[in-house]
Amino acid sequence: MLKLYDYELSGNCYKIRLMLSFLDVVHSIESVDFYPGAQHKSPAFLRLNPMGQLPVIEDAGMVLRDAQAILIYLAARYDSQGVWFPRDDPVRLGQIAQWLAFADSITATASVARLHDGLLYSHVDSEAARLGAHKLFRILDEHLYFCEQVEQTWICPGDQPTLADIACFPYVMLSEEGGISRIDYPALRRWCDRFKRIPGFVVMPGIFHAGPGLEASTV
Amino acid sequence: MTPNLHSHWFPIASSTDLVPRHVYQAQLLGREFAVWRADDGYVNVWENRCLHRGVRLSIGINDGRELKCQYHGWRYANRTAGCTYIPAHPADAPARTICNNTYPAREAHGLIWTGEHASGSLPDLGCFADGIVLRPIPLNAPAEMVSESLEGYDSDVFFLVQPCDSNRSIIRGLAKPSKRDRLDLLRYHNFALQELRDHIEGQAASQDTPEPLVPIISQVAAELVDLPVLHTIGRQADFTVTITNKETVAEDVVRLRLESLTSVLPTFQPGAHIDLHLQNGLVRQYSLTNGPGETDHYTIGVKREIESRGGSATIHDHLRVGDNLAISAPRNNFPLRRDAVRTIFIAGGIGVTPLISMAQALNVQGLDFAFHYFVQSETRAAFSQELHAFNEATTFHINLSPHATSEELTHILSDPNPTYHIYVCGPIPMLDATRKIAKKQGWDDEQVHFEYFKNTNKINTEGSFEIDLARSACTFTVSEGQSILEVLRSNGINMPSSCETGACGTCRCGVIAGEIDHQDVYLTDSEKAKGNTIMTCVSRSRSDRLILDI
Amino acid sequence: MTVIDSIDPVVRDLWYAVAALDDLDLIDVQESVLLDTPINVCHDTSGGVQCRTELRPLPVCERYGYVWTSLGSPQTDVFSIPEYVEPDRRNIHAATIGVHTSAPRTIENFLDMGHFPYVHTGILGAEPHTEVRDYNVEVSVERDEIVATNCLFWQPMAAAASSSGADVDYIYRVPHPYCAILYKSSPIDDKRLDVIAVFLQPETQEQVRAHMMLSLLDEASTDHQIRLFQQTIFGQDKPILENQFPKRLPLDPRAETPIRADKSAIAYRRWLSDKGITYGVIPAAA
Repeated sequence: MLKLYDYELSGNCYKIRLMLSFLDVVHSIESVDFYPGAQHKSPAFLRLNPMGQLPVIEDAGMVLRDAQAILIYLAARYDSQGVWFPRDDPVRLGQIAQWLAFADSITATASVARLHDGLLYSHVDSEAARLGAHKLFRILDEHLYFCEQVEQTWICPGDQPTLADIACFPYVMLSEEGGISRIDYPALRRWCDRFKRIPGFVVMPGIFHAGPGLEASTV
Repeated sequence: MTPNLHSHWFPIASSTDLVPRHVYQAQLLGREFAVWRADDGYVNVWENRCLHRGVRLSIGINDGRELKCQYHGWRYANRTAGCTYIPAHPADAPARTICNNTYPAREAHGLIWTGEHASGSLPDLGCFADGIVLRPIPLNAPAEMVSESLEGYDSDVFFLVQPCDSNRSIIRGLAKPSKRDRLDLLRYHNFALQELRDHIEGQAASQDTPEPLVPIISQVAAELVDLPVLHTIGRQADFTVTITNKETVAEDVVRLRLESLTSVLPTFQPGAHIDLHLQNGLVRQYSLTNGPGETDHYTIGVKREIESRGGSATIHDHLRVGDNLAISAPRNNFPLRRDAVRTIFIAGGIGVTPLISMAQALNVQGLDFAFHYFVQSETRAAFSQELHAFNEATTFHINLSPHATSEELTHILSDPNPTYHIYVCGPIPMLDATRKIAKKQGWDDEQVHFEYFKNTNKINTEGSFEIDLARSACTFTVSEGQSILEVLRSNGINMPSSCETGACGTCRCGVIAGEIDHQDVYLTDSEKAKGNTIMTCVSRSRSDRLILDI
Repeated sequence: MTVIDSIDPVVRDLWYAVAALDDLDLIDVQESVLLDTPINVCHDTSGGVQCRTELRPLPVCERYGYVWTSLGSPQTDVFSIPEYVEPDRRNIHAATIGVHTSAPRTIENFLDMGHFPYVHTGILGAEPHTEVRDYNVEVSVERDEIVATNCLFWQPMAAAASSSGADVDYIYRVPHPYCAILYKSSPIDDKRLDVIAVFLQPETQEQVRAHMMLSLLDEASTDHQIRLFQQTIFGQDKPILENQFPKRLPLDPRAETPIRADKSAIAYRRWLSDKGITYGVIPAAA
């Protein structure tokens, strides 16, 4: 069975939990004492991932690290419909890869500000991280605004959400913990609501469910 | 910032920002707003603060009819912003004065407008009135600086700058309609304005940042601070409403739609009733049948009573669309708990009316319930459209004999469960039968909630006694033929009341000492046995003296 | 006038937990802020701990697994948690977590049960079991603390072994304006109580570090599981706490709408007012 090395409060681990839930993949969770135990820096864990970072998965004897890499693997392996990571269209493939890289930038800014403010990473420059996150949020809000203008629901074209949406969602939604308000990003806020209404959506501490959408309501 | 800016209209969102089931977060002159569109299209602009514990309502849930706070699940109604439910106290009807701060809202020219004290007409946009709403551009700079920088931008665009805070603004632009492709136009201005934004922000950063504006937090009503909340409304006609629709919804049953032409109707909760002051001077109580969030009108269902004393017959025969009526604000003496694992509604005839409102509330929240409707014939089944919308939750029991009704009730109540609650309303024999059967089957008194429409007990007004008002330190004598309520009123004490026949529960009062002669049908047997509450309109004292908690 | 001079003397003379001894083993020098004053905590050469501002050393003591200090001159010892020294207990530092809100808002949230079904859904509460039943609150004059007893609430996973819900019975203590302790019956010994404490370090009026300590009789769970549970609960409260406005707790009784379920919060606000606390609150207008 697939095993996820997980920390509940990690947005990067949450990406994997979301994907596993959306795809309904049977798995086990190995909870790592990230804080205060720093178990991800222990020799045993470093043998799994010399970067000393979460998440890591083990599946069929293979060990894989890095949230975005794991998302790609899970989609390629377990999404029989090929909707989360469609590989038949070079344009969309390129776009998804572009937004996966963008998600890494969100992690490097919004997540760093959150770690500083919430989990006491006092050695990082949280002010620079916040400024950086706002720059990225402006870009994503602008993108999503123009998506709405052409009735595109998700970050990449198509009727279905893709890995790009999963990769960007957690640290956008957790940004307030790093002192990054989303009041100036109305299109981003609407996209967060839409994302929460994807069937199979699960929450993590810091993120609540959305209410029922209009289409799901009874008469 | 000059204070008179608060009387101006400012755009705070594009119309397209308010998608269904979403709560938009806005800010104007330092104050934050939660802005949401209900499923009926109404745009609500509220202070972004639940008045319970200050949590932003923009992280709450818009269910299309009500906004639910994320912290404690308090529900606030569309339009009125009145609190309809406090889950921590499921048996209580929230005080009517628990109401969020709302602000004037207009939707025009593709924009949502508000202002803390805005009134009058919106600014005249001239040839831009039908303009294309550009993508709003938020920026970190004072509004005056932004406005100055926009001068000379492009005469085909009209700008409105939203002053969010002392150093935060939003550029909102309307472009003159042109032949140019809309998307192209949006992209062009978006790009140009973002360039300008970066320039303005650079300029703002080189100056001292002004202190953020501090909005004044308005106080909640004084009576909300001391608990429990006391009602202080007497039998008054608070509002004038107009009948905007009257239709026959079943044999001998009409439904009236009542709207206020002058003001927003007060918040109601499921189970609430209003007093209807008829033109012939009679006052009658009717339950509201509205679903949650239907706050632009009230609906009531009125059955023609065979022995009508002039109430229902007047409504059926003489009231017409366009007539004005005086009504009281809604009162809720039949509150709906929403913490039951399952709720069983038992309606008989026109007793369906309060239960219809309750069941709609549970249905919208996705809570489990069963609805049993006992009715003489299919043609007499009112509100069948609403009942059919509950699908398999609804069961009709048509034309059953008293015996068959008892058997059916025995079956419905055959499995007492401490996590269930029963609400029953209908003719007196059926109510009595339901209560008896429930008791026999092992249901607790506290689980069976009922509402009598009238008290058919013969009221005994014999004998006199004294009442001591514990908190007011007064003593009065209630003589033969007088009610406690009348004596209180004549001594200037404003005790609320409604039916004044011992059925509705409005005039209830705490009793500290003395033996009560209960003559009402509102209190449960166990409440009567406790002897600490009295219905002052009909009940009396067996002892020489009653000490009342007022 | 320096910042410290503007802080009310009651707040200045209190003891504050500022670092977990466990964390000090991981990070040699812990830098943080106390009442707007930057401080650092580290081991001294003799194996003890020291705490200082840029300008001066501060008084220190070690209690409940944490380093406590004060910017003033504390008149009393740190409040007592007698259970902590019982030999069969496990005392665990669950986490130190920073939150963008005032200390009093955080204490009020800790005392609140009504939010369990909405914020800790499926763990500490679940709809439709939303009722907060009447409980007792008193201010103990002798100990100068608030005590709330007989706090019953329905919980979906009241005992680890049971899948059905049941009522749990809590006792809350507020022995310090910015510290609170929760007692709940131990799953392995119904006559004794598990202890969960939150010690707040107000960094500024609108920013705190929450130090969370548990003292349990639990034998089954690992330290990691216990910590993780506590971090999950606190992580769920965080978006609520960070979205409260104003961040400082308003002490004017008419600033917000209390209900009967908020009896302990009403007592807490009044207690802060009576003490003359001004840090992290909006005092009621005189």
